[in-house]
Amino acid sequence: MSEMNWYFPESLDEARGLLGKGHVHGGGTQILKRNMRRINGLIDLGRLDLKYTENDGGIIRIGAAQTYTGAVQSMRDIDPDHILVKSLRKSSSESLRNRITVGGSVAAFLVWSDIMGPLLALEAAVSLVGKKEGDYPVGEFIENRKLREQSLITELSFRHNSWISSYYKETRVQFDHALFTVTILLRKIENRVDDCRMVIVGTKNRFMRLDNLAESLKNRPVDAVDPREIAQTLEIDFPSRRSLPSEYIGHLARIQIERGLEEVLRR
Amino acid sequence: MRGIFRVNNREKEIDFHPAATLLTVLRDNSNTEVKEGCGQGECGACIVLLDSEIVNACQVLAASAMDREITTTRGLGNIHSPHIIQQAFVDAGAVQCGFCTPAMVLVTLYLLDRYPDPSEEEIERVFDCVLCRCTGYVSIIEAVKLSAQRMAHGK
Repeated sequence: MSEMNWYFPESLDEARGLLGKGHVHGGGTQILKRNMRRINGLIDLGRLDLKYTENDGGIIRIGAAQTYTGAVQSMRDIDPDHILVKSLRKSSSESLRNRITVGGSVAAFLVWSDIMGPLLALEAAVSLVGKKEGDYPVGEFIENRKLREQSLITELSFRHNSWISSYYKETRVQFDHALFTVTILLRKIENRVDDCRMVIVGTKNRFMRLDNLAESLKNRPVDAVDPREIAQTLEIDFPSRRSLPSEYIGHLARIQIERGLEEVLRR
Repeated sequence: MRGIFRVNNREKEIDFHPAATLLTVLRDNSNTEVKEGCGQGECGACIVLLDSEIVNACQVLAASAMDREITTTRGLGNIHSPHIIQQAFVDAGAVQCGFCTPAMVLVTLYLLDRYPDPSEEEIERVFDCVLCRCTGYVSIIEAVKLSAQRMAHGK
């Protein structure tokens, strides 16, 4: 086995210069699950100033090296009820939340990750340096593998709005990888639905945005929305798992969508 | 590769494999108080403080921990001069086989640094990272509360 080399860039320019030389740089803790023999180099981002959360005139910017713990603490100061506070606090355990990074999670896009649904619902953007330098919607980054080649995530950003939010992850115990997650954001004006976003992560295509449904709820009186009726009409395609057929997982998801909608509508 | 590790306020220059975890490096260099349980980041037996934050040493690549402050339970106290928390664990009967105890002590320190008078909810939330198969956790929670009382009174 050839020796694996480590690199500790102290600037983004230095990091940029290392890209495209056959080095793995996506994901942090997830790297340990890979076959390390195939990795011939690692870039440690610890010396770059990427561990921050800022409210930049209504745009929340989270540095790629911000841990889940750091993100929760910072977002709690900005909005204690924020969807990221709810979702990331449920993720794995305290000691792992101190290591799992926002950028690493997006780079790996693990289907069971607690950050993906909220970022998709928030319509977050991912900032890249390298071959495809620029800002891209998170959804596009996930679907377009070419964006990951020779690139480095530096930041996630999204507009800060006052959403009523609901987050659910389907697991048996906390440490389980989630079968699916349900993220719902809602805004009301004078007892009418002003805006709504719903994302399910864990479907056959990895994630599903319920855009048509969300659009149909806009301007409807809150009292006129029947969460059960809405959930029952949804067609969601999940992959079958061992001992869990896709139809049953879909049934579970519809229950949680109904409950989530009920929660945000009645608050 | 070679690097400097600051463990319990002492610097060590260590040769290690680039893919080695912090757990392996610590145990291979006399810090066997850091225990290997599952190797998956789920049991918490290998928890250490890395720059004052609890982390699973089995989930940290050693190279990323160079030049940072690593604290193990041995850095808090010893049998002749135990830390308040270590003594509280003994006094509360929270040590049976002892395998999880090094991690439990560090998690207690981490908790009390942030929540000097922790609620049950705060204790449960922070202690979600470390398992005990012996005690059933009741005595451990008592030890945490006893530690909080004693640290508040400077005993």
